[in-house]
Amino acid sequence: MTGFRVINPGIQTTIQDVGRRGHGSIGVTQAGAVDEFAFHWSNKLLGNPYNTNALEIALGGLKLKAVGSIDFVLTGAMVDVSIDGHTIEQWKTYTIKDSEVLEIGFASSGQRIYLGVVGGFDVKPEYDSYSVSIKEGIGGLVLKANDFLPYTSRHLNESRKLPNQSQPNYELPLTLRVLAGYQWELFSEDEREKFFTSAYKVTPQNDRMGFRLEGQKIKAQCNGIISEAIAYGSIQIPSHGEPIVLLKEHQTIGGYPKIGAVIAVDCFKLSQMKQGSIIKFSLVSKEEARKSCINFYNFFKI
Amino acid sequence: MRFVVASVDSLMVYFGEVIGAKVAKDVRQAFYTLREAKLSFVTDIVPSYTSIMVSYDFVHFTYDEMCEKITNILEKNAENHEELPSRIMSVPVFYDVSVGLELEAISASKNLSVEEIIALHVEKDYFVYAIGFAPGFPYMGDVDSRIASPRLANPRAKVPKGSVAIADRQTAIYPKQSPGGWNILGRTPIEMFSRSYDGLSYLRVGDKVNFEPISKEKFLKLGGVL
Repeated sequence: MTGFRVINPGIQTTIQDVGRRGHGSIGVTQAGAVDEFAFHWSNKLLGNPYNTNALEIALGGLKLKAVGSIDFVLTGAMVDVSIDGHTIEQWKTYTIKDSEVLEIGFASSGQRIYLGVVGGFDVKPEYDSYSVSIKEGIGGLVLKANDFLPYTSRHLNESRKLPNQSQPNYELPLTLRVLAGYQWELFSEDEREKFFTSAYKVTPQNDRMGFRLEGQKIKAQCNGIISEAIAYGSIQIPSHGEPIVLLKEHQTIGGYPKIGAVIAVDCFKLSQMKQGSIIKFSLVSKEEARKSCINFYNFFKI
Repeated sequence: MRFVVASVDSLMVYFGEVIGAKVAKDVRQAFYTLREAKLSFVTDIVPSYTSIMVSYDFVHFTYDEMCEKITNILEKNAENHEELPSRIMSVPVFYDVSVGLELEAISASKNLSVEEIIALHVEKDYFVYAIGFAPGFPYMGDVDSRIASPRLANPRAKVPKGSVAIADRQTAIYPKQSPGGWNILGRTPIEMFSRSYDGLSYLRVGDKVNFEPISKEKFLKLGGVL
């Protein structure tokens, strides 16, 4: 049987795909890879079908032993990676041979690393998705020491690499494009102005559920609203006034006013930002937001 | 009906601005009508007190096109005045100060005996407005104003699984142990979310729920955990 034996699971390593849709009315969240850019690139480099599952490794620390020979790729956050002590590159496919050990260090830039294999891992999906929703205890697999990750051995004809200049740089200042929505009307011109001209800092409260930001406080004309559904990327403004951007494991319903939503392709970038990173917001039109996201998915689905 | 952008792939449809029976009926009708229409380009529909959120295939449809489609479907259905039947769901609850952690505090603040608080909670039928926050967590109303109590100033890190709780005029059941700030009155042995249920959640939007007080023995017999 081919696959990886887990020697050290790292801080938090889970199976993910793009997530779970269609269960929001019973309170089940979307889940899925928080950085779809790195996730889809892993599949593209491996020649996998769109949405093949991969491991999402938070911060690093994962150590795996190959059972049989496996073609794989690592994308996402920048880490030191080695096979039996020999350094290898990210964003490039490799073959690891039987009994060799793949060791992933800790991220020096970015937060999440993706490990994909040709054809994905042979684990069971739950409710139409492989994605693990940690808080809900739904889906796939949260890796533990000694787990075995089975995989059907398939090989690539040649190694593929994403050129260095096309790889993302998670240290660059980030401006998140925001689509006005929900309770936009409850924020005065002055408050909107403050929101779009201020710099915000990523706080330690950042995870798969959302990112709490620190900086200029803004105020809605009410503290709470009648609880309603929440979409991925929504920007909540609780009574303390500092924005929370909700990501893949967002709660499905909430009662805080929302000024709008960060567009999906920018949420992917936000998910790689570390505590202390500076981000800004800019307003985007419906047409431009849609175009940016269509371009992204068209690129990866073909 | 008022349409508002939610995100690149989702929109809100508001049916009113205040919580009430008429709005709840419209929300529920719209939710089931759109769901029954089985539209391949709709990826999710999430109802709540006064609104539904519709997520859709944004690659093939614009926001304006979706608003038009939803309006057409709902208007066509508007002639159908038949009210959707509500399932009557019974939920057994062990009401006791040992598991109803706020019974005594509410008793003090409302100047009612613990027995009176339980009686007022049991007496009403509750309507399931929404399911969310966590899988299978029902938002129900309306709680008798005589026992309505605000959320705890300091939410608990761990609310026990099965806790039946109130916040203002809403009542809910915690499907699993989780953080939470609602006032706990009792505990149910019923699983709220299970792979064995058709639809996964014990309750659905539009159900009517009545709480049935049970003894500690019955609670344990039904699989409840203290």
